Amino acid sequence: MVAKTAERDRCVTGVEGLDTILYGGIPRSNTVLLTGSCGTGKTSLALEFLMHGAVKDENSLFVSVTENSEKLLQNIIPYKFFDKSLIKSGRLVFVDMPVMYERLGLTKAELSMEEIELLVNSLASLAKELQTKRLVIDSITSVCYKLKTSEKIRDFILKLSKALSDLGCTSILVGEVTADSASYSTFGVEEAIADGIILMANMERRGDLLRTLQVIKMRGTMHSRAKYVLDLTPVGVLLVPLLKGGSTG
Amino acid sequence: MNFTSIGIPALDEHLGGGIHKGSTVLVMGSPGSGTEFFAKQFASTGREAVTYFTSTERDEDVLSVMREYGWRTDMKIINVGTKYYERVLAKKLEISRFRQEGITLGDIRKFKEGDAAKEENFLTFLAYEISKLNPPFRVVINSLDFFLENYESPEVLMAMRTIKAHTQHSESVTLMTMLKGVHESRIQSSIEDLSDVIIELDREKVGHEFKKYIIVQKVRNRPSQVGIIPAVYDKTGIRPAQAP
Repeated sequence: MVAKTAERDRCVTGVEGLDTILYGGIPRSNTVLLTGSCGTGKTSLALEFLMHGAVKDENSLFVSVTENSEKLLQNIIPYKFFDKSLIKSGRLVFVDMPVMYERLGLTKAELSMEEIELLVNSLASLAKELQTKRLVIDSITSVCYKLKTSEKIRDFILKLSKALSDLGCTSILVGEVTADSASYSTFGVEEAIADGIILMANMERRGDLLRTLQVIKMRGTMHSRAKYVLDLTPVGVLLVPLLKGGSTG
Repeated sequence: MNFTSIGIPALDEHLGGGIHKGSTVLVMGSPGSGTEFFAKQFASTGREAVTYFTSTERDEDVLSVMREYGWRTDMKIINVGTKYYERVLAKKLEISRFRQEGITLGDIRKFKEGDAAKEENFLTFLAYEISKLNPPFRVVINSLDFFLENYESPEVLMAMRTIKAHTQHSESVTLMTMLKGVHESRIQSSIEDLSDVIIELDREKVGHEFKKYIIVQKVRNRPSQVGIIPAVYDKTGIRPAQAP
């Protein structure tokens, strides 16, 4: 008997090359950890993912944790395909997590289990209100600093993924790791729970600092595990396979 | 003349002429014993400019009681309670609404930088306001309980020591009220220790009546002044039943 698996609906990222690596896109409703050290292009990639969604009439939500979203918008790469009217029309919404913390009175350094649930519910209710189909939290690591213990982080990410998945929302959680980290996440828990892990890194080659991208894991699809070189251009992120021959510079 | 009035002339006599300038007075008692009332009487006398900090009453409540007794009301009221309500309690109410109903995009958009006003430290505020006063001043802090409920005791003690030192050096007077027996005994002892004069208001049930007392617990450097004084409450306020 031939096992027949229903092919999962895809959320086409629109990022040149990434959809090919993922055989068509991120399986819809997945929660993906996009991780890497600083300056590797995580935020740019995540934004592009949202913009392509918004252009295709999928409501997109960017939850900014570390940076004020207004400032973020000022420094945004002037992508050719980016249309500011997407923000005006509400297809692409930017929200500052610190404002949510204030509103919910989550100003203590460490959140309790109850408060974590509250935060998850608030994010989910916001996603529901906005009928969000693509969501980015940048960065989840900053949220994790308020959770402290791995039990709480596990609880938070599991509940959040479940809630967003139930809404049919495909989510990217941006993670920060140090360049020499052996783990894919700061707390070591995030990576175990996510449906997928995309790793971004810097790589020095012949005096150039290259940005690389590698899909480590993705539930619900086959994917390449090869390392790709990433280029940030005004037409978006470009990915080309990392050539191995003659590269021992 | 090194003395100033505690607010009750007959009690001044019991104290040998009043309280020394530079004194910090603690008035203690159980709820309903009249500490707040005592504080108002204290605020209505003296030559110093009066500043009345309250955490429990509205301004008009303070004034109406004082007018009822025909006391002077030319003083500055700084209402820590109202400020606390506006800055902290009203915000807590709003937070509980968001927690209950969830936040909408509108709620997030409506948020302005100013809303995130860093939590104000009312203890620092109290010390700061007192530091700005022109000496000699007469200050009432009604009550310490508010600060002890909201801040760590070492912090409160530190602030009270500062206020006491400032009162002492500027030859002013400060009176503070505190409930008896509700705070940790260590903190109560520390507050008692830094006070120069301690008055306790007490009552005793005799038959169907309360017998009231002004208990002078402590007068710094004048141990002979301590004693239990039967008191009456009449249309002039609180006073010792008999002359010393």
